[in-house]
Amino acid sequence: MSVLRINNICKTFDKDTVVLRGIDFSMEKGETVAIIGSSGSGKTTLLRCLNFLTQPDKGQITVNDEVLFDAADPATQKEREIRKKRLHFGLVFQNFNLFPQYTALENVMLASELLAKEQEDYRHNKKEIHERLLEHAKQLLTDVGLKDKMGHYPHQLSGGQQQRVAIARALALQPDVLCFDEPTSALDPELTGEVLKVIKGLADQNMTMIIVTHEMAFARDVADRVIFMDGGVIVEQGPPQEVFGNPKHERTIQFLRGYNNVG
Amino acid sequence: MKKIIALLLAAMMVLSMAACSAEKEESAPVEESAPAAEAPAESAESDLDYVLGKGKLVVGITDFAPMDYKDENGEWIGFDADMARGFAESLGVEVEFVEIEWGNKILELDGKTIDCVWNGMTLTDEVKSAMECSNAYCNNAQVVIVPAAVADQYQTVEACKDLVFAAEEGSAGEAEVLALGYECTAVLAQSDALMEVASGTSDAAVIDSLMAAAMVGEGTGYEDLTYTVGLNSEEYGVGFRKGSELAQKLNEYFAAAYADGSMMAAAETYGVQAAVIAQ
Amino acid sequence: MTTFAEQFPIVFQALNVGFIQTLKLFFVTLIGALPLGLIISFGSMSSWAPFARIGRRLAAKNGPSKKSTFFVEFKPISLVVKLVIWVVRGTPLMLQLLIIYYFPGLVWKNPVWGSGESGRFFAASVAFIFNYACYFSEIYRGGIQGVPVGQTEAGQVLGMTGTQIFFKVKLLQMVKRIVPPMSNEIITLVKDTSLSRIIALQELIWAGNAFTKGSQGISGEIWPLFFTGFYYLVFSGVLTLLLGALERKLDYFRA
Repeated sequence: MSVLRINNICKTFDKDTVVLRGIDFSMEKGETVAIIGSSGSGKTTLLRCLNFLTQPDKGQITVNDEVLFDAADPATQKEREIRKKRLHFGLVFQNFNLFPQYTALENVMLASELLAKEQEDYRHNKKEIHERLLEHAKQLLTDVGLKDKMGHYPHQLSGGQQQRVAIARALALQPDVLCFDEPTSALDPELTGEVLKVIKGLADQNMTMIIVTHEMAFARDVADRVIFMDGGVIVEQGPPQEVFGNPKHERTIQFLRGYNNVG
Repeated sequence: MKKIIALLLAAMMVLSMAACSAEKEESAPVEESAPAAEAPAESAESDLDYVLGKGKLVVGITDFAPMDYKDENGEWIGFDADMARGFAESLGVEVEFVEIEWGNKILELDGKTIDCVWNGMTLTDEVKSAMECSNAYCNNAQVVIVPAAVADQYQTVEACKDLVFAAEEGSAGEAEVLALGYECTAVLAQSDALMEVASGTSDAAVIDSLMAAAMVGEGTGYEDLTYTVGLNSEEYGVGFRKGSELAQKLNEYFAAAYADGSMMAAAETYGVQAAVIAQ
Repeated sequence: MTTFAEQFPIVFQALNVGFIQTLKLFFVTLIGALPLGLIISFGSMSSWAPFARIGRRLAAKNGPSKKSTFFVEFKPISLVVKLVIWVVRGTPLMLQLLIIYYFPGLVWKNPVWGSGESGRFFAASVAFIFNYACYFSEIYRGGIQGVPVGQTEAGQVLGMTGTQIFFKVKLLQMVKRIVPPMSNEIITLVKDTSLSRIIALQELIWAGNAFTKGSQGISGEIWPLFFTGFYYLVFSGVLTLLLGALERKLDYFRA
């Protein structure tokens, strides 16, 4: 059973800018998919559609056999339910988007604590729930190597550290699929390593992930499958050694030629 | 053009909306005016009934010794204040003194935020056309104020022709100076005109003689100023809303008070007995 | 002529009375205008477009046209609120005071405010609250729109509601952004309160000016005006310190 299935996702902006022209793919639990492609190919828009930040014009999104979105069925588009649906996905942004007024620990805890407050039993078990969430958040920050930075505010952290906090924050809600939108593009080259290492670690733990990236070596190393997108369609996909080592489409070959570090 | 009108209408709407909502918020002033609001045809109601109905005569004044000013306890006294108190008593209503910006007196009167202007008001044509005025009750003159040191040079109207004057905007004094064709700066209050002379920003001021007697010369705030020539003679009256029967009521009260001597007694208290006009 | 020593207690007493009116108007305006400004700023940012669907349908059928664009972009609440803000900010507060105080009596023949001190105070409060709320609303709008959209999106993907995102994520960042421009407006308000004397509200300047005009046996004196200025200086000085402290308090993060 596939954890995620998307059918025929189409998106047009501003009347005539077609960004996505019918995207289909599915993912198995524990799979790591890397999406590559030049800017403007629609990768980021695809991630935004999955996280309900952008509404597709056409198509369906299905998670664990539950249809979360169907452009043809208004019942799946209720504003009120979008919130719950978003929780199936996590998103790590290119620019981290940490909340500047909260410490690293508070950033990680905020959303889960707000969710807990909405539960019936919160009032009776306030302390226990808080303790549990706190422990969980501390564990996540320790896992991403920031045990001694929990009380720091975002501006006191380096870009790489901020992005690691952002990853911990996304993991706190235990999403079915964790999405990364060019997680290292905003970082100085010497800081990308620490973030990639964390993502690699997640892949090793069989986290289901979609990673939009320009780091070809990393994609090759970490992904179970690589998708090459161009002009709003999936041009080619397959295991990394095939896509990188033996690309079939002219467009893929041309794109990869731009990255001379990929042999 | 249509758009401009639409915009103006919108602006009015906004402002009146603001007024409406405030009306709801604040209950006290509304209750005060409730009798007036309940009357089905308000404009048909007489002004006398309106004042009697709310049980209070609101007298618009400024701080103007010896006509209206505060004693040590903060009570309004003065020749005008005492007479106003007596008049309200004769009507069987309470009196309330409200300090106003003198320039807004007609606005205050027509907007019913005061019921009369009783503050040493000169009966000019403008005043008489805008208000229902009582009979004159006090003589007054517009006099020229100059520094005492140079007073002997300016004892005639002709001698004053090269002076730069200051006078209250819209006052009888300003009208006199302009009628003479002399240079005149309009200021907000008669007292401001005095300040102009004291500070040297104007050469001379024109103010009421009653005020001059109280505010200029030995033992006052302006010891270095004095008054010289009078430009005209004129009279004080009390102004009510146009068409109000209160003016006639006041004339009757004045006549009675003059006859029984209480008016002169009040005048003597404040040193204006020489100016009072027989009723 | 009375001596300074004799005048001082009289002037001091009168200025204190005036200063209390000034303080009252200042605080009432702040208490009213701070929340009202927020509501107005939401109004001006309202994206409610009742005919957007019609417009989009038109555009889909016949291609985009002027008419379809108008329907899509027609946002009545935002439009009306922006018009109101334009009128209120585009006309002098003194004019608004005059109209608000005298309009009911002159036009409706019903002086809703009443003639006494309290009526004048209420009218002035309404004018000030409305006027300052419009200025505040533009500052709020700048503050809200200045918070990067990424903050909202980060909240959204974490399953937070719009309300939670506003209060838990954006509000404090917004406050940090608006404190400096707000401080300017608040200091201006201290001095603007004196405009209320146009409807004969006896605030601090009225009280000080009375002694140049002549009151309680004191006339033609300039020193009460200097003393009046001293009140304003001390008050705005205290406010500057408080607002500066607030600014420093928000220094712990960078937005």
